Amino acid sequence: MKQSLVLALLILFTFLHCGKDLSPFGGEPEVTTLTERLKPEWPSPNWKVVSPESVGVSTSKLKLVEEYAFTRTGDETDRKGRRTDALVILRNGKLIYEKYGRNFSEDKVHLTWSVSKSILQTMYGVAVKAGLVKLDDPGYYHYEPLSRDEAHKKITIRHLLNMSSGLAAEEGYESGPLKSSVIAMLYTRGRKDMGTFCAGLPLRAEPGTQVYYSSCDTNILSAILKKVYGAEEYDKLPFEKIFKPLGITNVTFERDGSGTYIGSSYLYMTAKDLAKIGYLYLNDGVWNGERLLPEGWVQFTRTPAPGYKTTPYSEDLAEDNYTAHWYANTGVPDRGIHEPWPDAPKDTFAGLGHWGQMLYVIPSLDLIVVRFGDDREKAFIKNDFLKLVKESVIR
Amino acid sequence: MKRKISVLISLLFLFLLFWAQWNWKHLSSFPSIISSFYSKEFCSCYFVMELSEEQCHNFARQWVPISEFNLDKENKSVTVKGLGRTNTTKYLSKDYGCTLVSD
Repeated sequence: MKQSLVLALLILFTFLHCGKDLSPFGGEPEVTTLTERLKPEWPSPNWKVVSPESVGVSTSKLKLVEEYAFTRTGDETDRKGRRTDALVILRNGKLIYEKYGRNFSEDKVHLTWSVSKSILQTMYGVAVKAGLVKLDDPGYYHYEPLSRDEAHKKITIRHLLNMSSGLAAEEGYESGPLKSSVIAMLYTRGRKDMGTFCAGLPLRAEPGTQVYYSSCDTNILSAILKKVYGAEEYDKLPFEKIFKPLGITNVTFERDGSGTYIGSSYLYMTAKDLAKIGYLYLNDGVWNGERLLPEGWVQFTRTPAPGYKTTPYSEDLAEDNYTAHWYANTGVPDRGIHEPWPDAPKDTFAGLGHWGQMLYVIPSLDLIVVRFGDDREKAFIKNDFLKLVKESVIR
Repeated sequence: MKRKISVLISLLFLFLLFWAQWNWKHLSSFPSIISSFYSKEFCSCYFVMELSEEQCHNFARQWVPISEFNLDKENKSVTVKGLGRTNTTKYLSKDYGCTLVSD
């Protein structure tokens, strides 16, 4: 009797401690090349609106996408359940679906939280194309706070874009406010000058060897750009070099106490304007015949961070495929990491933010999806949503 | 027995003291989080996203309640007191939105 009890307990413990298997199951992640789009439509400045059927999408299937996004699944006063503020879908560069909730509308900007990071990456594309920075420049070439010691001097712009700086940040929000470096950066000790605060963190790993998602990496990048351009040019940079060419006028980008854009968190845009950012990437960084981002930049954007291969096991390691300030759906086979959204096309890539902000680009289906929300709990399951989106495409 | 308990309590107190000192930079800035987060998020919600006061309170509120709140529509600023700390956020412009005022 005792023996069988011990055996049962042993079996139970074995299962309880069975973490995710992260053993390699293949080679490099497969990053497909973007297909040449034959007749891209460009918004000038607004998207052309067409019926879903005219571009091969089923209206009745789209209803299921709408139901998933807009059906309230929890109590509003408790901020429970799925709380969608906006949903915009484009096929072949034409608007086929748009709906708003919770007092938002087409001309109201919405906080994008960490989707801001993906647009800060766009700013880097612009800076690299202009020849002002190189991906493998050590950060301290441009930014003095990173020259503290030999270890910090090894951090390159590529490492920062790949979230692989090795800086010992703590990216906990509500879960661990006491030691969270992101909360200290945004609201207390770091708010006067986020770049300097973040560059002052000690290192936990050799730069480039560990992927650790950190808002600090982004705001160091933002502070580097201020030095590269000079304060005056930098103040105009996103507005002049990205928003204006894309016809985006209704936009707010907040800054810290020293005038550094808070690239990690505080960009506000409308859903249809954020879709333009996705569309720029869908078209390989070319907007209406003009190349804004360097050749190969979007490929870099869609490639999982090399540091994954040497990142030690952690519970959340297999949750997403982080690239260069965007997310991929390729999986990282040589690390044993599967694609996070198995029911979405493998070439899906995305900008994602806190509390349910999402920008999806699906090249193989020629789709852009923007969803804004205010989910205070994990109620909006990305894979379930993307499955419905994929199934709405009939040809 | 009594002595044992008092030794234990003293040891516990000492341990707490060491822990507090060890984590002082985190502990000392912690109370400020409540009012700075509330004022910053309310300011952006109201002046940048242009939502109603009611919706912005719902957006910015946390588990720890605040003790004072002042929305200054004329000067476009939001001042909040919570856990004994006061923080103010100012709206600057359409381009740059709101920024926490540094002390």
